[in-house]
Amino acid sequence: MKWATRRGCYVDRTACVWLIRRFVDPEATFSFFADPAEVPEDAELFDVAGARLSHHGDYCSFETFLKEYRVEDRALVEIVHDADLIDEKYGRPESEGLDSTIRGMQTSLPDDDVLTRHTDVLFDGLYAFLGREIL
Amino acid sequence: MEADKTRWLILIYHLPREPSRHRVAVWRKLKTLGALYLQDGAAVLPENDITREQLEWLQLKVREVGGEATLWEALPNTVAEDGNLVEAFRASREEAYAEIIVAAERLRRKAALGTDGTPFMEELGKVEREFRAERRRDYFLSPSRDKAAEALKSTRQFLLEERSPESFGAGSRGP
Repeated sequence: MKWATRRGCYVDRTACVWLIRRFVDPEATFSFFADPAEVPEDAELFDVAGARLSHHGDYCSFETFLKEYRVEDRALVEIVHDADLIDEKYGRPESEGLDSTIRGMQTSLPDDDVLTRHTDVLFDGLYAFLGREIL
Repeated sequence: MEADKTRWLILIYHLPREPSRHRVAVWRKLKTLGALYLQDGAAVLPENDITREQLEWLQLKVREVGGEATLWEALPNTVAEDGNLVEAFRASREEAYAEIIVAAERLRRKAALGTDGTPFMEELGKVEREFRAERRRDYFLSPSRDKAAEALKSTRQFLLEERSPESFGAGSRGP
């Protein structure tokens, strides 16, 4: 399936890409657009104003995804929420580090395809760590 | 001389009077971002990828709860006007940094007087977190940023050298 979002991904969009590949659609292809006119017609939009899979109320897009696809991971949601919305809603200490790391990666890996391949590894690690924490 | 001026983003919004929680939420978000109000319902931030994205979401949020919002990119008409705005941004960070410096020094003095059960490291952690929040919204490198960082560093150093178990908070009491 085709997925599309805005170019210049940061924590919320990179987390969504990871979630799509890992839980929703392993065969997913992504297009990162600068202008909405470039979006392929059959692509599912995410983290774009007005889309089904986007910010809603207090939710960042990653939270909306988890709810829509019934993936349960409270800890990861809280970390991504705090890093994306900087509102300290959950006071997760990992958020600040994740925020700085992904902002830095965005500078060193400006191509979103390359960036998200790397952030996938980062989220895999974070997810594994949080899983261990719960046990 | 457009090159000398900052590019700004201005969010112009209007929210129904009730319920007031939406007005508070928007105000709080703008405060977190370090925005200044040019006047009622008109908030300004310097333009960059992050402020643009955050303001776009905020605009959406205002509309979702029944308000009106438009987002503008703007250049002040004169270099002087631009300078005034930059100074206003710096001044608001300066005030926050000054409070952080006072808090760091107060902690250090209290720790020097000996332990009174205050978990100094925890307290310092809170001030350090405030500092990082200020630094995130310090768009024009306010002069006191380094001083505040220095004050926090020297207080941390002092507490570490003290090595008083009590200064590390509950649960770490020595024999």
